[in-house]
Amino acid sequence: MAFLDNSGDIILDAVLTDTGRKRLAKGDGSFRITKFAFGDDEINYNLYDYNHSSGSAYFDLNILQSPIFEAFTNNTSVMKNKLLTIARTDLLYLPVVKLNFLEGPGGGTTDPTVGGTLSNTTDSGSYVITTNSTTTALFDNLNAFGVIKGNREAAEGSLAITFDQGIDNNALGLTPLGTANTLTETAYVVEIDNRLGVLLNPETGQDAPVSFVDDDQIASYYFSLQGDVDGSDHFSTILQNANPPTSNGNSPIAGRPGLRFQIKVRATDNLAGSNYLFDTLGAADMTLTTPSATFRYIDSTIRVTGFTTGYRVDIPVRFVKSTA
Amino acid sequence: MATTFKTLLPSDVVDSRTKLHENIPVTGTIVSGTYNNENIKTFSHGMFTSVYDYPYLSSSANHIFDVSAGYSNNSALSGGAYQGNAVQTTQKINIYNQMAQVLVGHDASGNIRDFDEDGNLVGGTKLEEVYFVNFSRLLTKDEIKKGTFSLDLYVGSSAPDFDGDGSARGRFIRIADLGAASSYYVNSPAGEYGVLYSNLETATTAQTQSVGLIYYQAGVAVLSASVFNDRFGNPGAHTQAVELLDGGSLDLGITGSAALLTSASLDNIAKVVNHRIHNISFNNTTELNSSIYFCRANANEFNYSSNPTYLSSSQIQVKQNADDDPVAYITTVGLYGANNELLAVAKLSEPIKKTPANELTVRVRLDY
Repeated sequence: MAFLDNSGDIILDAVLTDTGRKRLAKGDGSFRITKFAFGDDEINYNLYDYNHSSGSAYFDLNILQSPIFEAFTNNTSVMKNKLLTIARTDLLYLPVVKLNFLEGPGGGTTDPTVGGTLSNTTDSGSYVITTNSTTTALFDNLNAFGVIKGNREAAEGSLAITFDQGIDNNALGLTPLGTANTLTETAYVVEIDNRLGVLLNPETGQDAPVSFVDDDQIASYYFSLQGDVDGSDHFSTILQNANPPTSNGNSPIAGRPGLRFQIKVRATDNLAGSNYLFDTLGAADMTLTTPSATFRYIDSTIRVTGFTTGYRVDIPVRFVKSTA
Repeated sequence: MATTFKTLLPSDVVDSRTKLHENIPVTGTIVSGTYNNENIKTFSHGMFTSVYDYPYLSSSANHIFDVSAGYSNNSALSGGAYQGNAVQTTQKINIYNQMAQVLVGHDASGNIRDFDEDGNLVGGTKLEEVYFVNFSRLLTKDEIKKGTFSLDLYVGSSAPDFDGDGSARGRFIRIADLGAASSYYVNSPAGEYGVLYSNLETATTAQTQSVGLIYYQAGVAVLSASVFNDRFGNPGAHTQAVELLDGGSLDLGITGSAALLTSASLDNIAKVVNHRIHNISFNNTTELNSSIYFCRANANEFNYSSNPTYLSSSQIQVKQNADDDPVAYITTVGLYGANNELLAVAKLSEPIKKTPANELTVRVRLDY
């Protein structure tokens, strides 16, 4: 992927994405552009230099000199970071979305996506999702932190992956943002490889409805807060430890909390019943000491994007299946 | 409410149609042996010869044009006087009829019409013996631009130019559709066509010596076999030898266009034509149907970012105080469907600064 020539006038390099071409080819009217967004994927805001010796005109010199890639046609590879419209211009802090591993499967104090996930094992650096009952049984009665029992029969009872949203800085105190706040995230788009996993309603355990599946087999699910938080299956308030609060309970958010968002995930029946995808996309050399077994596995990612704020979190997951 | 998307209003979307032209020069050396004829592809059926811009076994080769020839059932060449040493007679008549029925069509009785000298299909003089040059769609795109076609052809002495000084090539003419930009015909089932005239190389106005037709949308040049007389007429009137020029190894021992058309194979006819081409030039045309999306960022819009580097512990990195204006930098425009599918992407060549103090409109054009 080359850079665009930025030596002269500003030019625009526009392409249809693979999904756009697919929709166009269908000829059923599904190719209809109705809205737009701006992105800044190449920008590293750490380059903004408030201390530049030449003055404020040079603060963003390095940013403005960033070379820009040509347009990708893969719809999942671009527009990862969107620009945001907020009427107020006096905001110094913005909310973020963080994986709440304290409430996640297994519960613990270590981020399972960073390392140290499985007891007495090599690290996977991922949530581990079991794909059939045989594999799930191997983890029964183990404090296997970061393991999601993902076979169809067990998934309903497994713990949900939890995301907390809010201002991760206590400079503004701990007062909850509230659902009416413009900065509170009330809708998420969750993307997962449709060949590997299915998202579930965390309350009912039923498969969540898919918004669409793109040409790369990435399924997009759209979840939004309908009505009160108390009646929502996916959204809940982040409990605080006192009144007035001194911290958020079991939450990685350090400051004003927004809402908690939860999803459950299970493996597809294809993964449970066949090794084809493991042979094609994965490997079969994951050996654990506890439980003592060897597993086939496929590494993938679940991507959670706040629909309102555009903030995105990628969660690495590993679908595993016992070779026994 | 914080938002990342902005809905496009009807006034933000405009449809347009533009015609894009490219100049296509084809030098004669490519078609006459630069690659030791490895860029000339012949077929076992022997109906036509394909010319590539590079040895055709290479994946880098592009198809340029095909060359074939034929004559009508009504031609004197199909009669006994010329058929003594004739080869591929059936194929030549079939090629002519196939091209004629596509490019000229049928009469009221369903008979295939012959090519006509001046485009007036009712009566008049017909082109009954012709060479065909079928250009690849890769070059012509949607159509050849009217009034831009020219083909420089050596039509004179047969003597090979062994010393390379060009002196033995004899007459050199430019065959062009001069004046066709404003004068062309629309009575072909294959679209519009113009008349090709032979001229001196320097001529810029239409001449009266028509030597063929050029079909713009079909991308086919039809040259009268009498072109070697540099004029329209009876190919039998041409009495010069027609073997290859430029040191070609094939000496057909043939004299005259009529004998070439009847007693040479289609492959050899193509070799003769290819070796006498000096240059071909035309402008192609691509019709671009475009949708233009005006993506407008007003002063109070798109001033923040969801980029992970935008925040450090939730604090905006490009602001030191709450009173500072927020700043964001635009590098990409995403066009979305109603269910948030990313359908098209546009990249700016450099980041554009967006603050509450400025507004901008990015004009994204999608061509179909």
